[in-house]
Amino acid sequence: MDDIKVNQNPKLGSLDRPNSYIGRSLPRENAKKHLDGGGQFVDDLTLPRMVHVAFLRSPFAHAEIKSINTNDAKKSDGVVDVFTAKEIDEVCKPWIGTLGHLGEMRSPEQTPLAKKIARWQGEPVAVVIADSRAQAEDALELIEVDWAEKEAQVDMETALDSNAVVIHPELGNNLFWTRTVNQGDVEKAFKKADAVVEATLDFARHTGVTLESRGIVADWNKAENKMTIYHNGQAPHMMQHIIAKHLDLNEGLVRIVSRDVGGSFGIKVHVYPDEMAVTAISKKIGRPVKFIADRLESFTTDIHARCHKISGKLGVDKNGKILAMEIDDLSGIGPFSMYPRTSAIETNQVLNLSGAPYVIPNYKAVGTVVFQNKTPMCQYRAVGHPIAVAITEALIDKAAYKIDMDIDKIRKINFIPDNAYPNKCPSGVPLEDLSHEASMDKLLEIMDIKEIEAQNEEDFKKGVLTGHGVISMCEVTNPSPLFYGVGGAHISSQDGASIRLEGSGAIHLSSSITEQGQGTEAIMKQIAADQLGVKMESVRVTLGDTDATPYGGGTWASRGAGIGGEAVLKAARKLKDNILNIAAAIMQTDKDTLDIEDNNVIRKNGGEGITLQKLAETVYYRGHELPKGTNAELLATASFLIEGIPFVFTNSAMGCQVSIDQDTGIIKINKFWAVEDCGTQINPKLVEEQIRGGVIQGIGGALFEECVYDNQGNMQNATMADYLVPMAYEMPDIIVDHVTTNSGRSIIGAKGAGEAGTGGAPAVIMNAVNNALKQVNAEVVSQPITPEKILKALGKI
Amino acid sequence: MAGNNSVNISFTVNGENFNNVNVPSRQHLADYLRSQGFTGTHLGCEQGACGACTIEMDGKAVRSCLVLASQANGANLKTVEGFDDEMMEKVKQNFLKHNAFQCGFCSPGMLMTTKEILLNKKKLTRDEIRSEISGNYCRCTGYQSIVDAIEECINEIN
Amino acid sequence: MKAAHFSYHEALNLQDAIKIKAHDDESVILAGGQSLLPALNMRLSSPTCLIDISKISGLNEIKIDGQTLFIGALATHSDVMNNKTVKNNMPCMFDILKMVAHPAIRNKGTHGGSIAYGDPAAELPALAVATNAEIIVSGQNGDRSINAKDFYLGLFETTINQDEIVVGIKYPLLKKGQKIVFDEVCRRHGDYAMAGLIANVMGSKNDIKDLKLVFFATGDKPDVADKTARLCLENGYDYDKLKNSLSTEIDFAGDLNSSSEMKLHLATVLIKKVLSKLEI
Repeated sequence: MDDIKVNQNPKLGSLDRPNSYIGRSLPRENAKKHLDGGGQFVDDLTLPRMVHVAFLRSPFAHAEIKSINTNDAKKSDGVVDVFTAKEIDEVCKPWIGTLGHLGEMRSPEQTPLAKKIARWQGEPVAVVIADSRAQAEDALELIEVDWAEKEAQVDMETALDSNAVVIHPELGNNLFWTRTVNQGDVEKAFKKADAVVEATLDFARHTGVTLESRGIVADWNKAENKMTIYHNGQAPHMMQHIIAKHLDLNEGLVRIVSRDVGGSFGIKVHVYPDEMAVTAISKKIGRPVKFIADRLESFTTDIHARCHKISGKLGVDKNGKILAMEIDDLSGIGPFSMYPRTSAIETNQVLNLSGAPYVIPNYKAVGTVVFQNKTPMCQYRAVGHPIAVAITEALIDKAAYKIDMDIDKIRKINFIPDNAYPNKCPSGVPLEDLSHEASMDKLLEIMDIKEIEAQNEEDFKKGVLTGHGVISMCEVTNPSPLFYGVGGAHISSQDGASIRLEGSGAIHLSSSITEQGQGTEAIMKQIAADQLGVKMESVRVTLGDTDATPYGGGTWASRGAGIGGEAVLKAARKLKDNILNIAAAIMQTDKDTLDIEDNNVIRKNGGEGITLQKLAETVYYRGHELPKGTNAELLATASFLIEGIPFVFTNSAMGCQVSIDQDTGIIKINKFWAVEDCGTQINPKLVEEQIRGGVIQGIGGALFEECVYDNQGNMQNATMADYLVPMAYEMPDIIVDHVTTNSGRSIIGAKGAGEAGTGGAPAVIMNAVNNALKQVNAEVVSQPITPEKILKALGKI
Repeated sequence: MAGNNSVNISFTVNGENFNNVNVPSRQHLADYLRSQGFTGTHLGCEQGACGACTIEMDGKAVRSCLVLASQANGANLKTVEGFDDEMMEKVKQNFLKHNAFQCGFCSPGMLMTTKEILLNKKKLTRDEIRSEISGNYCRCTGYQSIVDAIEECINEIN
Repeated sequence: MKAAHFSYHEALNLQDAIKIKAHDDESVILAGGQSLLPALNMRLSSPTCLIDISKISGLNEIKIDGQTLFIGALATHSDVMNNKTVKNNMPCMFDILKMVAHPAIRNKGTHGGSIAYGDPAAELPALAVATNAEIIVSGQNGDRSINAKDFYLGLFETTINQDEIVVGIKYPLLKKGQKIVFDEVCRRHGDYAMAGLIANVMGSKNDIKDLKLVFFATGDKPDVADKTARLCLENGYDYDKLKNSLSTEIDFAGDLNSSSEMKLHLATVLIKKVLSKLEI
């Protein structure tokens, strides 16, 4: 067994006992199926009489649909039927992507297929149902649409101008949502500041590019009035509610099955018009219907993210103490706010999180979110973090340079001290159990800044621009009901676990948390086996099936370990308690003298015990042998939710060193370091892999990824050859280390770890690039930082 | 116009004979294999850019989305379901040990690319490994763990 | 993304393929298929018939033929990279092909396919032009040999006739003191370049006697820059002068990853990079 790498939470029991699995980097034995080709992804499923669909999608960003003629398409080989909005709307009710707790949001009704007007390139307009996807695509070519192209509102920066194209005339203008945060008096504080620095940064749109595209199989069973949906989503119970609500079904008779999911990153937690159409089609034709998005559909219809322009201002005194910070953020979200989480949350998190690690007594933040004729934008991994962290950390570096202070020192003197929690973000959001000071110290220790600075200077003499950066950040994880539920969304913030001892002695565990590759199943098994005192291999796990798991929220916002894991811990402890009570009755001894080790109930003071199998056999097959009145339940369930605060925050510190080729503008990441404090690590290897994968995704946004649009709103690079995702060759190895501050909100003490990498990497890359460019008085302010932007900054082109 | 909309061909998959089967002319090999239950071969882009569908065709790694099923006449194909020799079992153990996959969608293609690296029997640096796998997209891991696993495989073999 | 209907014909021999191609002007040749299949899958191309020539024997031969290195059209990029005759006679080929996509693509993609497709961003057409190679095509009236500089007309456009098929490429053997040097700038390894250069050099770093510069990923076909090459020979590397010369000689066409201005800059810088690779 691997060595325990981290200091374990004392609430979890001693380290040297048998079956102590929490804190160990155990391999994910359950995931070996993927190496044998045995995963069960949605597209792997074939049902009898299943049909396939292909969508006719708007080729224009903004156009009127004057008429649609589907007659020829209906006669095409293999075609079952062709539907437009009229037919789908008979079965599926429209939705509105607004929530009630964040002030006024304005977004119109949205239907699965566009009616009269299409508002982004890729919006579904008609759907062909056929025996094969290829035949459905053949028939698409036979649908005749009389389009009247309209002027598109593409640029978010002109969306509120008086001459802008108003995308939803009934709203009067293109404003979706706006929010202002005002703490203290920034104007007064800036006047007192010895140095005031400003920056305006922009962040391109990018998207999730999950390797497995979105997919759904809907199977309406008329005989049972039951809808079964096989879906590669992240929140099965949320989908169950939404499909029941909009198709007018009995919610209890909607079953969502999410088996293996080929990556999600927030892309697969939203309600998509084409997927709703598929469920409606199955209801209408009474056959199983499959839809697997192709890559073009993924690029133009999966939610996009970022698309922000943010201006910031920071005032410090001569000692480097921050007096005030002000930000103004603009974001464009496409023509609709996504359902049911809305497209306001990214901007909201920018406002919440900017300046979060630091004591900033005066803080003002304005966020404005507008409509535009592009693919809808919504929450994606590290929602809002890259923008909040980049603007904060860019301003802090600028302030440090201005008052000639080391970049690590200015951060240290402004951190909320590790011993000063509970505390609050500058925006007022509560914080607890964080460690910016210790994490930065650890980062500086593993980075060796002196050596890095010496290398930067040496490279400069050789004509190479090398620079480095460090950043600190807060990471939103483990949301409470104050995130979505309070606003009226039926998204559970509570999660459940159910655990049972079976007649064979096997342990079965089910959880409402889902698996998309993070290792959910593995950590749940580790927690259950650890807390119960059984071998890992005796636990099997069921996830992702609303008919078979407890009710709950699913996996998003890094909530699996902290919320779902706590539910498993509590359920396992309950079951253990039950088992020991039964064993005490069977063994005629005091329960406190007993424990469970390696699937046996043992006597702590020695003497003969009883195997869990024998105990279970007694309970199930010979219950009459138990003393009368024994509570013989070998099934325990528990739930957990975060109460009293909006989120359990995690914190992280990152550093990197980059070199810039002055001839080509190409940036090479020499080294990257990350220190994460996510509290208890149930499986440190899996935590590290969350950090690494997240950092690379963040580097993608910082250097490569961009949904490129022309000025008519056509996406120019909707293929995997043209949209540049990070590939292996350009990516660095990442050194990961930890500080451990357990969350006081739970016994398990775990916080989330999935967002930090993606949230922090863009900031630290940009700071390092600008540190390198500073040597020649140049600067970049726009992501992705392409070679062309570098060469422009250097005055070469 | 010559030829037909379907073609009658014979080939093997993981040693199993497929004799005189009709395949649609326009179907690519990945779709054909998946239709026959070899669902370990995954489709990520259908243009050769992501590497998820990489399989072995007559001893060489190919993108099965960029080969027509009809072109497989006479070929010996191997998919992830057939990676069961001693070397590949060792590779899988190393992938498991290093957590060189998360969601598993890239794994079949990544394993095939690894297989070809190992069959070339060259001692590669980490940068060279990164170069060899640079046609296989993985969104989850950030690649380091995959490089770790392949590096260990190379060390064991050389 | 599933391909539209087409028929498939496995050609038994070259004559068979030529015959079908001659009679159906909407038929296309399938060799390695690594550029064709993406276009089919995305329905960007809808031919009536694919003529699969990949099983025709003898078309993948690699040999010394007189004073040339002959590479058969069906030799895959992997075949060429691993071939000793190529290594001994044209050592640059390995480094060039290593930049063409990724191993699994190179296992299928063919030398002749890349030459015939005429992608202006591809390396091999530029190599053929830079080395003064002859492209051998076979048609109803027999074989003919076309000099690479005359073969490429414009964007994916060549002088090849409807009934003709590329059967091989003849690269003149390098003379003593002659060297082919190459470099390109890509966003990611294996991507099409933002700009690339193949230089045919006679002489050594300090004593270049003759220089030919052929750029790729800069315009609509391999871009020969003779005037700039002469300027470089006469004056040595002077960024501003060479950039000015290139701007008059090549019609740089920007793309998603690099504007025309960027390409002009990179092309200029590539001359320096390539010359620095020469031995003293």
